[in-house]
Amino acid sequence: MKHWLASLILAFVCALPSLGEEESGARLLVSKNILNQYLVEGRDLTVEYKIFNVGSRVAFDVVLNENSFPEASFGVVSGNLKVTWERIAPNSNVTHAIILKPLKPGYYNFTAAEVSYVTSEESSERTIGYTSFPGEGGIVPQRDFDRRFSPHVLDWLVFAFMTLPSLGIPFLLWYSSKSKYDQPKAKKN
Amino acid sequence: TSSDMAATSQMLFIIGLFLLPVLAYGDTCLAPVVKSETYSTPEAIVSTDTVLIAEFTLTCKNNLKNINLYADIGGRTIPATKSIEQNKYQISISDEHKKLPPGSYEIRVFDEEGFAALRKAQRSGESTESLKPLFTITLNHPGIWSGPLVQSEFVAAMTAIIVWWLAYTARGKLLS
Repeated sequence: MKHWLASLILAFVCALPSLGEEESGARLLVSKNILNQYLVEGRDLTVEYKIFNVGSRVAFDVVLNENSFPEASFGVVSGNLKVTWERIAPNSNVTHAIILKPLKPGYYNFTAAEVSYVTSEESSERTIGYTSFPGEGGIVPQRDFDRRFSPHVLDWLVFAFMTLPSLGIPFLLWYSSKSKYDQPKAKKN
Repeated sequence: TSSDMAATSQMLFIIGLFLLPVLAYGDTCLAPVVKSETYSTPEAIVSTDTVLIAEFTLTCKNNLKNINLYADIGGRTIPATKSIEQNKYQISISDEHKKLPPGSYEIRVFDEEGFAALRKAQRSGESTESLKPLFTITLNHPGIWSGPLVQSEFVAAMTAIIVWWLAYTARGKLLS
């Protein structure tokens, strides 16, 4: 919610100086966001694109091309990286999402994807724009993430097993002497 | 003669009426065959919002390519995003976790005609349930895993406290 509001305010601020000067037409603003709380190697990474048409005319043949994720570093889990919409009406928006899986840990600079569209059906001149870029993010190696967040059940079981001697030996000593004490009592009866 | 001509033109008109449905079917996808793959957000760390994605390829018996499709899912109506590859579409929905609870989501996919009928029904406030889509995709969302129910540290602490308490009461009984 916050992101689209921010981009809408940005659009308004950018449009103010040119109000009354330019001919109104289709104008697309695209926001690209990473929806993850943590970026972990081997765990899904959600990228969401929101395309807003802040112009006053329909945008035709809109193509969103995402080629900033090299195949060697990111596998595609779901979604298409190159998509198109036939038309986006003025004052409306469309959403697109892709799911990636980081294959390598380390810092990664998340850059912009490319958007292109034509402002009228007959025109062959495509307007090219770019999405917002999420910036640099650190992809945590799997081991470090598990060390912090996994339930460590196995570790706790091993710990319980290791406490057995320090609890078990005094208990057995007490129990063996208790049973010796009880036996003569039983014999008397 | 003029009466012959009138009869012939009448015949042509009637033949034309019969041909009309055949010609109109050229635009509708016949016998749609759909192959789909779905995805839904598995855990909370992966996404701050729940994302549902359905990707599918459509094959029409009458070989229509890249027709416009629209999806109705959970009350939302959105156009299906087309991939650059032919006849490949994607439908993506994202919203807060509360608004997309776990369950089975029916995605009804309409073509242009069906979509026009859907919009008309929505505008006049009629129910859209009865409208027949081109096809339906079922998306199963098992829900978001936001962490284990009980922390393992909590279980370990509780076990330790219980063992200590057992020992303490046993000691108390022995001493008394």
